Amino acid sequence: MKALSIVLRSLLPWYGVAGAPTCKYHPSCSQYAHDAVHKYGLVRGSLKAAWRLLRCNPWSKGGVDYA
Amino acid sequence: MSLLFALLAASPLQPLEDVMRHILNWLHVTIGLPWAWSIIVLTVIVRMLLVPLTVKQIHSMQNMQRFAPQMKEIQKKYKGDRQKQNEELMKFYKEHSINPASSCLPMVFQIPVFIALYFVLRHFAEHPPGGDLGWLGLVKITDHASAGWGILLLGIYVCSQMASTFFMGSTMQKSQRYLMMGLPVVYVAFIAHFPTGLLLYWVTTNLWTVGQGLVTRRLVPKTPAPSLFSRKPPEDGGNGAKRKETPPKPAPATKAQQPPPRRVQKRKKAKRR
Repeated sequence: MKALSIVLRSLLPWYGVAGAPTCKYHPSCSQYAHDAVHKYGLVRGSLKAAWRLLRCNPWSKGGVDYA
Repeated sequence: MSLLFALLAASPLQPLEDVMRHILNWLHVTIGLPWAWSIIVLTVIVRMLLVPLTVKQIHSMQNMQRFAPQMKEIQKKYKGDRQKQNEELMKFYKEHSINPASSCLPMVFQIPVFIALYFVLRHFAEHPPGGDLGWLGLVKITDHASAGWGILLLGIYVCSQMASTFFMGSTMQKSQRYLMMGLPVVYVAFIAHFPTGLLLYWVTTNLWTVGQGLVTRRLVPKTPAPSLFSRKPPEDGGNGAKRKETPPKPAPATKAQQPPPRRVQKRKKAKRR
């Protein structure tokens, strides 16, 4: 679990590849992924995080959405 | 990070890698660009594809001007509790179909592009294609960034990364933004092992971000206009449903109502955070 946290955090520089580390949801997608993995475990947590990423698209309105 | 590459190397990116190689090939063979410039043009193409999203975001930001009084109120109400404040603001955004933040998906979409390019360049290093692999006679795109003039490019990368974070991070908290600006310095150690061509992609995309940030700043007045005028509050009591009907048109008047000099606006903004 600890290792995964590190991996998730090491994703930070990727924001640099792409632009602003902002998110239209609260908490942000990366925080959500972190929380979800802690709460639901690796497989289900990752799936939930992936689904959240898909929802965080230009056509969604964002909002408050906890893992 | 190399672990991450190894994980992702497990081939789901192969199709994307092929696409990238084809585009690069086309730019090199048909258009006649050297490989290094092909990478730069490829970067510009990727970013151009994402421009409509930025336009959408700018519209949303312009739209936000109209809701400034209410947003200020929320910020005042939950002054001590940033978490709660964010939450309430998000709710407010959703209710009124505005959102100044970008979405994560387009950003995440660029990561596979980047990694695919990494593999293309690695392939190039093993099986050099014909043609000039150099850039301005200084570096070879397949060499590690830590070799020779690559160091210079690393320096340029760090600067451009900081600049782009500075421009794009305007919706972040200040402390967070400075942290993000410090990151490229930390990651230089990793990035030094990347092929120089990847750095070219990175620098180009950062410069694009900076340019886009400058344009956005021009188009979106910094301080939400209505907050400067006391005649706005009556609208506070009005029902949001009516306003909701016409969200996408940014009021053309807002720009004209925005006379205060930049410096003052900046300070105001800092205070608001």
